[in-house]
Amino acid sequence: MTPSIITLGPHQLALEEPMYFKVELEGDTVVGLDVMAGHVHRGMEHLVMKRNLYQNITLLERLCSLCSNSHPSTFCTAVEDIAGIVVPERAEYLRAIADEIKRISSHLFNCAIMAHIIGQGALFKNVMQIREIMQETKEAIYGNRMDLAANCIGGVRYELTPELSMYLGQRMELMKAPLDELYRIYTTDPAIRVRTEGLGVLPRQEAKDYAVVGPVARGSGIAYDVRKKSPYGAYDRLNFLVATETSGDVRARASVRLREAQESVSLIEQCLTRMPDGKSCADILPEIPAGETIAKSEAPRGELIYYLSTDGSDMPARLKWRVPSYMNWDALKVMLKGERVTDIPLIVNSIDPCISCTDR
Amino acid sequence: MNDVKDRVQAALSQTGEEPLIEWRSDRKGVLTGWCRLGEAALILPAAEALVGLEGRLSTITAYLTDSARQRGVREIAYHFDLDGTTLTVTIELPLEDARVPSLTMIFRNADWNERELMELYDIQVTGHPDPRRLFLDKSIEPAAFERLIPFSTFTNGAASKALWNKVMTMSGTEKAA
Repeated sequence: MTPSIITLGPHQLALEEPMYFKVELEGDTVVGLDVMAGHVHRGMEHLVMKRNLYQNITLLERLCSLCSNSHPSTFCTAVEDIAGIVVPERAEYLRAIADEIKRISSHLFNCAIMAHIIGQGALFKNVMQIREIMQETKEAIYGNRMDLAANCIGGVRYELTPELSMYLGQRMELMKAPLDELYRIYTTDPAIRVRTEGLGVLPRQEAKDYAVVGPVARGSGIAYDVRKKSPYGAYDRLNFLVATETSGDVRARASVRLREAQESVSLIEQCLTRMPDGKSCADILPEIPAGETIAKSEAPRGELIYYLSTDGSDMPARLKWRVPSYMNWDALKVMLKGERVTDIPLIVNSIDPCISCTDR
Repeated sequence: MNDVKDRVQAALSQTGEEPLIEWRSDRKGVLTGWCRLGEAALILPAAEALVGLEGRLSTITAYLTDSARQRGVREIAYHFDLDGTTLTVTIELPLEDARVPSLTMIFRNADWNERELMELYDIQVTGHPDPRRLFLDKSIEPAAFERLIPFSTFTNGAASKALWNKVMTMSGTEKAA
């Protein structure tokens, strides 16, 4: 049979951002894939070199909405490292709280879209309603549903009063039973299992070869989490399990995300218990000297790495970042091979693709 | 921790050079290593040696800073992850006719990184299996970070292009494209 090539775009793939695929088919089976990126390229790496280090906090938060806190917090960590700024302990916990709140929302959004793709409308609505607890929490604490504007060089620019801490604790209590129930549904419901088990498999060795990170890697048995491997902020004092699965399929990746959301609730509670009183930002901001550094964090989609080079001015000499989705796209070639064309949207969704992050 | 340092030093010695590696430890005890290779071509044996340590290519940063330009060079920093320790290996390339070997045979994920640096800078990656544009449209002149390009052209955005044309027409300095 002569292979045919079709082009799929965001409409066919249930994506809210533009990415195009050239898919090679034999009958209705995928035999080849070419990912065509760049449709939301905004020249961000050029723009950051035309703004000073303080302006870039705001710009980087607008790179992407789902992992919007990871970018400014990791960038600020890089600047703090070059300048030798010590972040107050309280600020480290407040940064972890912001990151974990975003992680829960991001993971639930992905699981909701998965339900939508497999035609489980009621489940989609249910997951989005549970996620709404987190969205309202963000509104109450930060004043925004997506961009939290939580970070500044030297710490954070928000505070949790005793009243807000109590509120956040109550909201986390509200999340526990629904998250347990979602984990049960996604891992045991026959209608979901039949669509997700054994689908879009990325074996462990291929996961390693393609250098994937985050829940995609952990779903294939690679227990890599930056929070454990290269602890930053408060994570060296917090207890959590790195969720892993071994089957490397769509189900495994969803299972990892839902268990991580449960761990995030625990992490936020630990932060609220252990967070000391004190300042939430360093008092004095020194001039930023010339230097170069690396800063890493575990964003919702996996390892985020920033490289910053400074020359003694307040403009970055070079600022480069690599987002977790960057490698995960290429691994779709393995996940999609041999699968039916109708399953492409479900498999693409299972890498939780972030297109604005990828294109920059 | 010293174990990682010794293993990296031994691995990079296989390139035929004895590179000087600067190790830094942050307040959490997370190590980062920084080294420069004498010749750009040594990045290939260095990468081969690091894959032997179960290293992973995290990303590649090409850049052309003012200070490097004054020295008549450009640089590429390769960032490798060694189970939580990040090693940055930097090479220098000439400003003109810069060439560097592809790492795709060793690290598959070098593919996109190298395609991206080729469209942003005037650097040829030799031996790349698929040296097409990655993000930028092929109608855009190469080495986008090394020349002045209207922002709307750079981002290929229709809305901002219309705005750019309007501004340029109103200012009378340039005919609308």
